[in-house]
Amino acid sequence: MPTAIITGASRGLGLALARALDERGWRLVLDARGAGALEAAASELTNAVALPGDVTDPRHRGALVALAGPQIDLLVNNASILGPSPQPELAAYPLDVLEQVYRVNTLAPLALTQLALPHVPDGGVILNITSDAGIEAYDGWGGYGSSKAAFEQWTAILGVERPNLRVYAVDPGDMRTQMHQEAFPDDDISDRPLPQESVPALLALLDGDLHSGRYRAHDLKPVAA
Amino acid sequence: MSALAFELPHAQEATAPPEARGLERDAVRLMVAERASGRIEHALFRDLPRFLRPGDVLVVNTSATLPAALPAGEGLTVHVATQAPRMPGDRWWIVELRGGHPAPGERVAVGGGAHFEFAAPYAGGTRLWLARFEGDTDLPGHLARHGHPIRYSYVGEPWPLADYQTAFALTPGSAEMPSAARPFTPALIARLVAHGVLFAPLLLHTGVSSPERHEPPYPERYAVPETTASLVNHARERGGRVIAVGTTAVRALESAAGPGGTVTAADGWTGLVVTPERGLYAVDGLITGWHEPQASHLQLLEAAAGDELLRRSYAEALAAGYLWHEFGDSHLVLP
Repeated sequence: MPTAIITGASRGLGLALARALDERGWRLVLDARGAGALEAAASELTNAVALPGDVTDPRHRGALVALAGPQIDLLVNNASILGPSPQPELAAYPLDVLEQVYRVNTLAPLALTQLALPHVPDGGVILNITSDAGIEAYDGWGGYGSSKAAFEQWTAILGVERPNLRVYAVDPGDMRTQMHQEAFPDDDISDRPLPQESVPALLALLDGDLHSGRYRAHDLKPVAA
Repeated sequence: MSALAFELPHAQEATAPPEARGLERDAVRLMVAERASGRIEHALFRDLPRFLRPGDVLVVNTSATLPAALPAGEGLTVHVATQAPRMPGDRWWIVELRGGHPAPGERVAVGGGAHFEFAAPYAGGTRLWLARFEGDTDLPGHLARHGHPIRYSYVGEPWPLADYQTAFALTPGSAEMPSAARPFTPALIARLVAHGVLFAPLLLHTGVSSPERHEPPYPERYAVPETTASLVNHARERGGRVIAVGTTAVRALESAAGPGGTVTAADGWTGLVVTPERGLYAVDGLITGWHEPQASHLQLLEAAAGDELLRRSYAEALAAGYLWHEFGDSHLVLP
């Protein structure tokens, strides 16, 4: 039974992916900040261990990897924060908040990956959830976007340094999530697709044999059964 | 709710059970605050039948208190909050190390050759940790032999576990006494039954409250039986008021209630946080104790009482010398 760690699994894309892997019989180790929401998420899954905590805390990361056991087939670095909502321009971006955004979005997933790597077998997958804000220069997205840019670059380099693994950065596209609402606090986002609509593309990536690199969910087609 | 900040004078902390002050359990004071009229009345707990009507339902928590504190030597005590949800096996617990700061991998001996191995802070908090219990027996068995009731500094001396059980206590599992029901005596319950007041049991095992910190409530184990769901629904249809005995009963019943107020049987863990914004679906009023300033329970109370009545209640309780904490006086909030 393959094992996956998913961060940010209590809602949105993380929860949707957890449900899909659960249906496939995976054993899951789930993380999220809120204990109540994470417990509720795990309660609907058949084989999920759930530890609420803060991904920037090394003690929490250590416990996640320990709970996963000797082999980690998939690590999904999905947890991230937007920063202030609405997002400030860079000229006025509070640097202490920016540091926190980098800690959560850029450094914590690398730290968790470092801990997990000794347990990831050949062909195992590091799946880093990113955003088009990591490559496009959107007005107001300087904090989150630059954190994702650095996240993507270390993803790419890790892929080169570890050719035996599949190291992916995936842009799932706009989704109807709490974070998306925070990014557009005054917008009605009900026209955006639900996060589960991005899941088949992620599964296609898992099932396929694409090289390490950056992919858009929009471009990925499910593998024919 | 930040405006409901107050200094609790030491003299208003109940430092011992009322029995130690020569009172029966139901002789503690009862403030009755009615939302519709805005009226506040001062009475004794044993006057409760006077404020309830035939057809009202008292929802009571049948969780019994565990001896959840384990001496761990050198000024240390381990408080066991709950078994950790969604962990492999039955050895993972959420605990608080009182008097010390654990590190991952640290082992703390808790008597009888048993120990906890601390793993990581739980839910990003500072006091609760995920820890694995290792011992000859399971942890409930170990607690039965080595534990004593959790006691905070305002309670000057230890009291037997029996002083921490309510009349409704049936299933052990609470780290701290669900104390709102403590003033109920068998005689008072009989008078209420004779008066036509209905009782509906449910279960919620409390975690630790540790009054010096203010963190959101963690998931707690709960169960609402089908008979209780039916009784509550029936009473509501007939115009009876659903009065929860304790914030634990509120949390459990609301976890099993839909936005329309209909309750269905439920069994599991609840992470529900009742706020004024969410409101109450099925609960019309509650009996509770007096809560610490800024405790998350105050949000739940505001949902039941409304901001203005809650403020006046607390101001009067402070002025009138009501006693706080698990051995203190009571507050009945009616719709």
